[in-house]
Amino acid sequence: MARASRLDSRFDTALFALCVFLAIVVHGLPDRLRDPLTGALRQTVLVPLVSLQHNAGLSRAAWLAHGENARVQDSVSLQAMRALALESENDRLRRVLGLGGKLRWGFVPAEALHSGAVGDEYTLTLSAGANAGVRPFSPVVAPDGLVGMVQTVDPRMSIAIIWTHPDFRVSARAADRSAFGIVQAHEGSGSDRYLLELRGVPVRNEIKKGTLIVSSGLGGVYPEGIPIGTVIDTLRSDGYARKYLLRPAVMPSDVLSVMVLQPQRAAGGVAPVWAATVAAADSLARLSAAADSAAAARAAGAPAHPIFPDSTRPPNASVAAPAPNAAAAAPPNPDSVAAAARARELRRARRDSIRADSARRANSDSARQARTDSTRRALIENARPAPLPADTTRRDTTRPVPPPSTPR
Amino acid sequence: MTWRSLRPILAFVILVVLHYTLRPVLEWRTSIDFLLIALLLAAVRMRPGAAAVLGFAMGLVADSLSAGAFGATLAMTIVGFAASWLRAVVFAENLVLHAAFFFAGKWLYDIIFLLVERRVKGLDLVFQLLIWSPLTAMVTALAGLLVLIIMRPMLDTQPA
Repeated sequence: MARASRLDSRFDTALFALCVFLAIVVHGLPDRLRDPLTGALRQTVLVPLVSLQHNAGLSRAAWLAHGENARVQDSVSLQAMRALALESENDRLRRVLGLGGKLRWGFVPAEALHSGAVGDEYTLTLSAGANAGVRPFSPVVAPDGLVGMVQTVDPRMSIAIIWTHPDFRVSARAADRSAFGIVQAHEGSGSDRYLLELRGVPVRNEIKKGTLIVSSGLGGVYPEGIPIGTVIDTLRSDGYARKYLLRPAVMPSDVLSVMVLQPQRAAGGVAPVWAATVAAADSLARLSAAADSAAAARAAGAPAHPIFPDSTRPPNASVAAPAPNAAAAAPPNPDSVAAAARARELRRARRDSIRADSARRANSDSARQARTDSTRRALIENARPAPLPADTTRRDTTRPVPPPSTPR
Repeated sequence: MTWRSLRPILAFVILVVLHYTLRPVLEWRTSIDFLLIALLLAAVRMRPGAAAVLGFAMGLVADSLSAGAFGATLAMTIVGFAASWLRAVVFAENLVLHAAFFFAGKWLYDIIFLLVERRVKGLDLVFQLLIWSPLTAMVTALAGLLVLIIMRPMLDTQPA
């Protein structure tokens, strides 16, 4: 028994020694012999294990790729959000650039900072001060219109009141010069807090809804022609003056970049800068007013349009035409028969007139649409920024532009 | 061949499959060596000579499927023989002892493998042998214990 055990032990030791010897031999094999050996093993008996290892590697790669994809998607979403913000900022800056290109000189560009503190909701802190040429009582404008007025000036910054300030006043007029008044903040609450009032308009001067109100240039602070707001409603009149509610051209929360007009630039007038806006608003208001008056006249039974009077209808046709029931009830006599025939003719003429009127209305609508489109195109054209100067140095916008030199 | 004698072989195959599926997916720095667990569990059920042959075969497989030199063949041969010989000398059905057995087997394997491969040298070799190898051996020992607990019905060859 012990001998058998010793034999087994010797056999195990011999086997172990053989395995170690073979392992050392395999380990010492040169690459040119080792690679074919391992390759042969991988392509024969180890195929299932190779396949398992390969699939596991693919699974891990897919898992890692999934994480990477999620990261990329998050990154893309973030970039898209940033792109939207950049697009908005780009658009805003382009509009400011366009305004600067139109103003050409006599303005100081500034960033507007909203403090948000209690008591400061009516003011803006501007990033330009006396060193840049800002002076007190200078008008502050944005591409869409009037923002407010500089109140306090420090060397490097200034504070401006915006139109929501209780002390804000500006002399204003309708874009078509049909009425004058004073614009101030509307003393309302909630969403009405961000509206304006046009006060002191004489009772005889009625302003239609949609009329653009611009600065009148009276008073000496604000130059003429800066858009202030649009009439949206009529308020209760007090005495001999009318009051109108205006939707402001510029919302304070949207103001991030502004232009401060210098006194000499304000004195020089800025009406051409917003001329296209004023003209477009004026023509739209005219069209709207014409349409309103035509509708009102039609509702009252009057001729549809005073420009196209119904020539077939006599001035007193409504009085001369008898009622159908009255004609039927009256005894037939030569006069009544003639009157009935005349009434039939008048009805026919009136039908023709209505038909012609609807055709005219259709033409008028299409013309208005075309006019609106052309106005919109003009606005877009005007909103485009002026081309940047060739040199990259910042030009001095506070000095008048020299007159163009004539070629010799 | 009865079902009772087939169960350890099945457990062995499962561990080998786990080595080539779970390990590449996890890809931990201190990865679990299921192949060594399989070798140790098989070696304690064999004679030392057969365990050395099994270690040699498994090392050859491991070396063929990796890019290194043939260091695993020698290491697994020695570890297999030593595990079987230790089983013949001292062994008990104790989980802590099994854990120590797995730990020592894996560490011994790493020492032989790293010394034979001669790929890591100097301070890195010291760090690898004294820090990373013990950590890997510990993780493998824990995994071995888990395997023992889960596969106990399959590994128990004694009649009930």
